[in-house]
Amino acid sequence: MTDRTGSRKGAGPLQYKAGKASKGTFKSLLPLLPFLAFIGYFLVFPLTFIIRDAFLSNDGKFTWTNFAQCFQGVYGHSFYVSIHLSFISAMIGAVAGSMIASAIVKTGSRTRKAVAATSSVLANTGGVPLAFMFLAGFGAEGLVTKTLKAMGWNLYGGSFTLFSETGIILVYCFFQIPLMVLIFSPALENIKPEFREANDSLGGTRLTYFTRVSVPLLFPAFLSTSLLLFANSFSAYATARAMTAGTLPLMPLLIGNLVDGNVIANQEHLGHAMAVSMIGVSIIVMGIYLLVLKFSKARS
Amino acid sequence: MKKKLNAFNYIVLLGATAFFVFPLIAATEFSLRAKNATTHNFDNYVWVFHQDGFRTTLWTSLRLAILTAVAVLVLMVPTIVYLHLGGARWKRFIEFVCLVPLVVPVISFALGVSTAFPTFLQSTVYELSFLYVVISLPYTYRALDVGLSSIPLLTLVEASRASGASMRQTLMFVVVPTIRSAVNGAIFLAVALSLGEFTLAVLLHWDTFPTWIANISQGHILGAISLSVLALVGSWLLVLVVAIAPKSFGSNKTQEAAA
Repeated sequence: MTDRTGSRKGAGPLQYKAGKASKGTFKSLLPLLPFLAFIGYFLVFPLTFIIRDAFLSNDGKFTWTNFAQCFQGVYGHSFYVSIHLSFISAMIGAVAGSMIASAIVKTGSRTRKAVAATSSVLANTGGVPLAFMFLAGFGAEGLVTKTLKAMGWNLYGGSFTLFSETGIILVYCFFQIPLMVLIFSPALENIKPEFREANDSLGGTRLTYFTRVSVPLLFPAFLSTSLLLFANSFSAYATARAMTAGTLPLMPLLIGNLVDGNVIANQEHLGHAMAVSMIGVSIIVMGIYLLVLKFSKARS
Repeated sequence: MKKKLNAFNYIVLLGATAFFVFPLIAATEFSLRAKNATTHNFDNYVWVFHQDGFRTTLWTSLRLAILTAVAVLVLMVPTIVYLHLGGARWKRFIEFVCLVPLVVPVISFALGVSTAFPTFLQSTVYELSFLYVVISLPYTYRALDVGLSSIPLLTLVEASRASGASMRQTLMFVVVPTIRSAVNGAIFLAVALSLGEFTLAVLLHWDTFPTWIANISQGHILGAISLSVLALVGSWLLVLVVAIAPKSFGSNKTQEAAA
C-alpha cells in the first residue's frame, strides 16, 4: 500500500463530517441512549463493581492482598493450567476446524447448510449435555471405550481419565471445532476461483498458491478465529463443572468454588480478584492479536 | 457452487463425521441400557419425563428464551438502523462496545452481577434474560449489521416516511420484513443461547433446564445422560428443519426485491 492511498483514506467524508459537527455530538447520541443505558447498567456497572470489590478486604478496606494471593499456590497454578488447556484446545480446534471447513465449502449448498446448522447447535448448546454425552460414551463401560478396546486400543491402559486435562481438551474439541467451522467458512467462501486461475496462468504451482495466495489471504481470519476459540475455552465453565465437579484446577472452577462458599468461607474477594485477572488475561490476548494483525498488514 | 473434492477432503470429512457421530451414538446406546445392563429399554426416558423439574425448568428456559429474543430485537434493531442512517460516526464505538462481552469471561460477569445488582432485580428469574441479551451482543450485532448492510436502507426508510409512516411503523413493517433472514438469525442465536446457558444461571442460583440436568446427574446419572441426548438431538433436529426447509415464498420475494 502506498502513502497516497493511505492519506486519501484518512480524509474520507465520514471523518470530515465527524470533525465539523462537534456541536451536534450530543444530539446525534440521543437515539443511542436506550442502548447505552442498557449497556451501562447491565454490563459496565457490574464490571466496575467487581473491579472495585477485588481491591477490598473482608472489612471493606483497600488492599492488594487479594491479587497477591491469586498468583500463589493452587490459584497461581490454575493460571497455567487454564491458559495451557485453552491454548491447546484452540490450536486443535483451529487446525481441525479449518481443514473441515475447506472440505465443506466445496460441497453443495444443502450440505453446507446442514453442516452450518449442526455446527451452531454444537457450538452454542454446548456445555452440560456435551459433558454427560462424553461421560456415557467414553466412560469405562461406554460404547466408544469398548469399541476402541475391541480394535486393540485400551483407552484406560495408561493414565487417561476424562477428568484430566486431556479428557477436558477432548470434550472441548466438540464445541471448538464446530465454532471454527462456523466462523471460518465465510472467509473461505471469499476466495474466488479466479485467484486459482490467475495463479495457474502466471505459472504458479499448488505450493505457491498455498503459500502466496491462500495463507496470506486467510491468515487474519484464521488468527482472529483462533483467538476467539482461546477465549471460548478460557471462559468455559459449564462442561468442566458438570464433568469434573470442580476437581481440575481451572480458573473458572476455582472462582466458582470460592464464591459458592462451600469450600472455604469468606473468600469472595479473592474470587473477585481472580475474575478480574481472567479479564486481564483476555485483554492481553486481545492485545497480542491486534499487534500481530498490525504486523501482518504492514508486511503485505 | 459444487467443486471436486480431493482424497484429503474425503478423509477429513470421514474422520470428522466419525468423531462427532460416534460419541452421540454411544451416549444414546448408554441411555437406553436397562438396569440389568444386558437389554435395552426406554426406562430412563420415562423416568425423566415423570420428574417434576422437567416441565417447570423447561418452561422457565423457554420463557427466558422468548423474552431474550424480544429484548434483543427491541434494543438492537432501532440502534443498528440508526447507525446505518444518521449515526454513522458512532458505528465504530458501538461495534467496539458490542465486542466487549467476548473479552469478559462469563464467570467474571456473573460475579459482577451477583455483587452489584440490587435485590429487587435479583429476586426475579427474568434478570437472566437481560444478561443473556448482553452476552449475545457480539453475535446478534453482527447478524443484524450484515443484514442491514445488504439492503438499500436509506431509500426504503425515505420512501416509507414519505408515504406517511411513522418511524415505528417503518421499522416494524418495512425494515424488519426486509431483513427477515438476519432477524431470524439473531432470534435463533438468542434462543439457543438462553436455552443452553449454564454459568450465569448456576452462579445466580436459578433453576433453568441446563442447571436442572446438572442437578439430576448427582442422583441419577442415567437420567442426566438421557436428558443430554434429548437436548442435543432435539435442538439439532429443530435447527436442521429451520435451516434446510425452503423459505416461505413471501419473505423470499421481499429479499429479492430489496437486493
